[in-house]
Amino acid sequence: MKAHAPQFLAAALLGGLALGASAQETLKIGALVTLSGPGAAWGQAMKNAAELAADKVNAAGGLDVAGRKYKVEIVAYDDKYQAGEAVTVANRLVFEDKVKYLIGPTGSAPTLAVQPITEKNQVLTSTLGFTNKALSPDKPFSFRPVITTYEIADPQIAWLVKQHGVKKAGGLFPNDESGQVIARDLEAAYKRAGGELSAKEFFERERVDFVPLLTRMLARGIDTIELDGNSPGTAGLIAKQARELGFKGKIVRTGGPATAEIVNVAGKEVSEGMMVHAVLDASQPAMQEYIASYTAKYKVAPNGFSPSYYDFTNMLFESMRRAGTVSDSAKVAQELGKLSNFEGVLGKLSWTGKESYGTDHQLAVPFYVAEIRNGVEVVRARCTVAEGCK
Amino acid sequence: MDWQLLLGQATANGLVVGLLYLLMAVGFTLVFGVMRMVNFAHGEFYMLGAFAAYTLVVKLSLPFLLAVALSVVLAIVFGSLVEWLVLKPFRKDELNGMIATIGLAMILQNVALLTFGPDPVSLPPIATGASTVLGVTVANSRLYVVGFALAVLLLLYAFLRHSPVGRGLRAVVEDADIAAIHGVRARIYYPLGFGIGIGLAAIAGALMAPLFSVSPFMGQTPLLKAFMVVILGGLGSIPGAAVAGLCLGLLESYSTLFMSSSTADMLIFILVVVGMLAFPRGLIGRGEA
Repeated sequence: MKAHAPQFLAAALLGGLALGASAQETLKIGALVTLSGPGAAWGQAMKNAAELAADKVNAAGGLDVAGRKYKVEIVAYDDKYQAGEAVTVANRLVFEDKVKYLIGPTGSAPTLAVQPITEKNQVLTSTLGFTNKALSPDKPFSFRPVITTYEIADPQIAWLVKQHGVKKAGGLFPNDESGQVIARDLEAAYKRAGGELSAKEFFERERVDFVPLLTRMLARGIDTIELDGNSPGTAGLIAKQARELGFKGKIVRTGGPATAEIVNVAGKEVSEGMMVHAVLDASQPAMQEYIASYTAKYKVAPNGFSPSYYDFTNMLFESMRRAGTVSDSAKVAQELGKLSNFEGVLGKLSWTGKESYGTDHQLAVPFYVAEIRNGVEVVRARCTVAEGCK
Repeated sequence: MDWQLLLGQATANGLVVGLLYLLMAVGFTLVFGVMRMVNFAHGEFYMLGAFAAYTLVVKLSLPFLLAVALSVVLAIVFGSLVEWLVLKPFRKDELNGMIATIGLAMILQNVALLTFGPDPVSLPPIATGASTVLGVTVANSRLYVVGFALAVLLLLYAFLRHSPVGRGLRAVVEDADIAAIHGVRARIYYPLGFGIGIGLAAIAGALMAPLFSVSPFMGQTPLLKAFMVVILGGLGSIPGAAVAGLCLGLLESYSTLFMSSSTADMLIFILVVVGMLAFPRGLIGRGEA
């Protein structure tokens, strides 16, 4: 195969010359995402977003890089949210399909598992995994186009403490690694903001009756219940049962898009006035357009992480244009890292992360604090990683 | 903290949960009494009851009470059919029967998964607001559930105690052979006993559906609790199950009040083990060792 490569290239070059500018080459972008099992909703949204971005550039005659037109093709494989499977498909993408750019991986474990392969072969990745090990100065090809709890917790909690007088919050968390980590992070964030996470309880994930735990927590005189760290359905149950016990204080969720599910489980009455983290502001025209085109093609509403990947794919295209190459991924990665104030459907996008990860490969996506009114999110504060919530 | 109020609150919470365990456990022990079969699919009938209520209320917009009644009728018919078609060869065959019901549980779970998907769904609340008596707050929806559950248990008691069919069923539970000699037709009573047993699980599921969420795997925890209750109360003993069910509910509620939930979960298992050592034949009853 290797021996034929120069000949193939020469042929392609000659062919390109012979046919003139109208001839298109294909640029393959891999999607190493979760398409089945628990993380499937996330993975589908990532792949669909990249496809939408590719559709758009293809409809305009292809991606124009250094005078050549490329037809963009998204090659998607399922990692089943498993590290082992992710390595298998990463090998296939890197060595057989020869892609230089990856959408994904979806999970933290798959990300850490494939990074040795992608970094060594200069393949650019874009993880959805929230682990802080995903980004580091010795991983120059790893980017993260979504913000994690780590970035969003502080500004939102600071705003809630300041604007809504949250003083003593209480939270119920699942008794596993993710629940413990989130509880620890939130406790610190409340402390920094001048409030307090004064009651926290851990429960086994299969629990559906939170009344005993809530009774204990409410007895400590908390004024706010924090729902972050719980799956959407569980968050709805906790809210519902807290109100049934006569809890009159605030209910907030400072992480994880889950409004539709919470309203579905808890009902409109219970969810009224709840302050939640929102990843998108559906009142913006660019976002409305994105949601409309996504829904038209895939017949379902886009998940909250999807716009990030649409914007990231477009940023990737832009950095290829600027680098003037699609094959030199090192140069493309460099240009990608330099992009700032990029106009995406999410707003103006820049990179951040030097302080937390040692490298500016974390996309600073704007986010929002919304109030649930009659079952839908109404944006109350606009936040950025740099400037906090206003 | 006002300890008196908290204790009152915990007692109310414990009784509500205890009643759920009771409904589950009475059905479970009835099936064992009639068929000498440990029904590991009991939790799945709880789940099916909840899904039946969900379908009837949300998809077909029936009133909740009618939905519960229909779910129970469906469960009794379905349960009798299952007994007759699947479990008949395993009557009185404890070990193989147990394996058969584990298989049945897996099949039912996955059928529910294929039909309803993995995401939890929920019912609209049957009542809103909460009532406060002597400082103890209980959600109105829970009060309704308590009322329905008590009514069901009273009905069951009257049925078993005073109706000819109920007496026949009790005779089979006591001693199937002697009952047969006296003209009780086991052919009918096996499916009927199984049907009523799982009908109780279905009622529990349908009643709890608006309080909690409904998902294909929701039956596992109640099954485990019912199993503990039944063992603690004495396998096959209905009064034993009643006492043990309420005790377990209260115990859980009190222990969660004083310690973290994970520690409380452990403590409960320890207490159950101690209970079994102290009363090897069950709290009330004859105990099947």
